Amino acid sequence: MGSYYDIDDIIAEEEPVSVVLQQPANGVGIDPSAEKNCVDQGSKVELPFWLANELCQRNAVSVLVPACFDEKTRLEIQADPACVDLRSRSPYFYEFGCKMAPIVGDRTLGFLLFSAFRSRYKELLTKAHTASYVAAPKILSRLTKEEVNLYEAAQSSVAAFKKWRVGGRRFQPASVLGRKRRSDE
Amino acid sequence: MAVQSEPDYSLFTAQEIEFVAEDELIEIVPNMRMDPLNLICGDFGPFLPQIAAQVPLWLAVALKKRGKCTIRPPEWMSVEKLTRVLEAERDSEREFQLLPFHYVEISRLLFDHARDDIPDIYMVRSLIEDIRDVRFHKVQSSLETFDGRTSAVQIKSLSAMEVNIVRPFVARALQSFQKLDSLLPETDSTPNNQPQEADKASKGRRVLRGR
Repeated sequence: MGSYYDIDDIIAEEEPVSVVLQQPANGVGIDPSAEKNCVDQGSKVELPFWLANELCQRNAVSVLVPACFDEKTRLEIQADPACVDLRSRSPYFYEFGCKMAPIVGDRTLGFLLFSAFRSRYKELLTKAHTASYVAAPKILSRLTKEEVNLYEAAQSSVAAFKKWRVGGRRFQPASVLGRKRRSDE
Repeated sequence: MAVQSEPDYSLFTAQEIEFVAEDELIEIVPNMRMDPLNLICGDFGPFLPQIAAQVPLWLAVALKKRGKCTIRPPEWMSVEKLTRVLEAERDSEREFQLLPFHYVEISRLLFDHARDDIPDIYMVRSLIEDIRDVRFHKVQSSLETFDGRTSAVQIKSLSAMEVNIVRPFVARALQSFQKLDSLLPETDSTPNNQPQEADKASKGRRVLRGR
C-alpha cells in the first residue's frame, strides 16, 4: 500500500458512493436538506469513498454499486469497449473499481474492469505509438487517468526517438550558461 | 543515468542508447601510422596505413573526423543483405530477423559521419528505415496478446532502440494488468502459454563483455 501519498490515489478516493446506513447516525450533517441532524437507519446517503470504506469495515454501512458501473455502462462496454467514454463516468474508472471490488458485493465487477481494460489496451497500443498530434485530443478525452499515463509514456518515447533520429547537434550548451550574469557589485 | 522526468519507469534517452552502442567494434582502414593505443577498454593498434584494424565505433568516428581513416561498413550493411532481411521480415509474422543489437544507432552514426564510405547510401538508408518500420509494427502486434497472467514478455532478436521505445509503455501496461488481475477470483490457475515467454529485461540489458 505504498500509495498513501499518491495524488491520483487520493483523488480517486474522493469519488462519491451511495451507501445504505445500517445504524442511525447522530449529529452529522450529511443531508443538508433534512430538518434534524441525525440520519435514520436504512436511509441512503452519498459519501466519499474513503469514508464509506472505513464505515464499511466497521459494519456501519453497506455499499451499493456506484453509478459509473451500472447496467448502461456494462452494456456499452460489452458492445464496443474501445469507444466508451470512460472519462465521463469517472476519470479514475479502473482505480476506483479496484477499490470498490472488495467491499461491494458484486463479483462481476472485476471481470468487467478486466475485459474493458484488455480490449481498450489493444486500441491504446496502436494509437499511442503512431497517432499524430491531430488525433490526440479526441482520443484523450475518452481515456481514464491511468490510460492517459500509458498513452503519454508511449508518445514521449516515440517522440524522443524521432527527435534523435533526425540528428542535429550532439552537444547542447548547458542551460546555466545561457543566462547573462549580472556583474556583482 | 536515466532522465529524471519519469521517476517510475526510467527511460534511457536515445542519446544514452547511442552512447552505449558506440562501444561496438567496427573495421577501419587508417591512412596514417600510429602507435598502439592502450585504452581502458582494450589495446588497439598499431595502426599502419592501408591495413584494416578493429576499433570501437567512437574511436572510429573520432579518427574519421580528423581525416585519419576511412570506415569500412559492417558486413550486415550491404544492400543485398539488407534486402534479404527486409524480405524475411515481411514474410514472417512473428519472428524477427537477427540483426545486430544496435543496428539503428550504428547505422545512424555511420550515415552522419562516414557518408562517403558506404556504397549506395541512399538505398541502404531507405532499406534500414523500412526494416525498422516493419519490425516496429511486428512489435506492436505481438504486444497485443497480453493477459492478466502475463508476468514477463520476451521478444527474440529485438534491437536496443526498439526495446527502449516500448519499455515504459509495456512496464505500465503490465502493472495495470496485474492490478486488475488481482481482482479476479482465482478460478483455474493454468498459466497462459504465451508463445514468447521469458524475461524481456534480458533483451534490453546491455551485456557486459569480458575485457
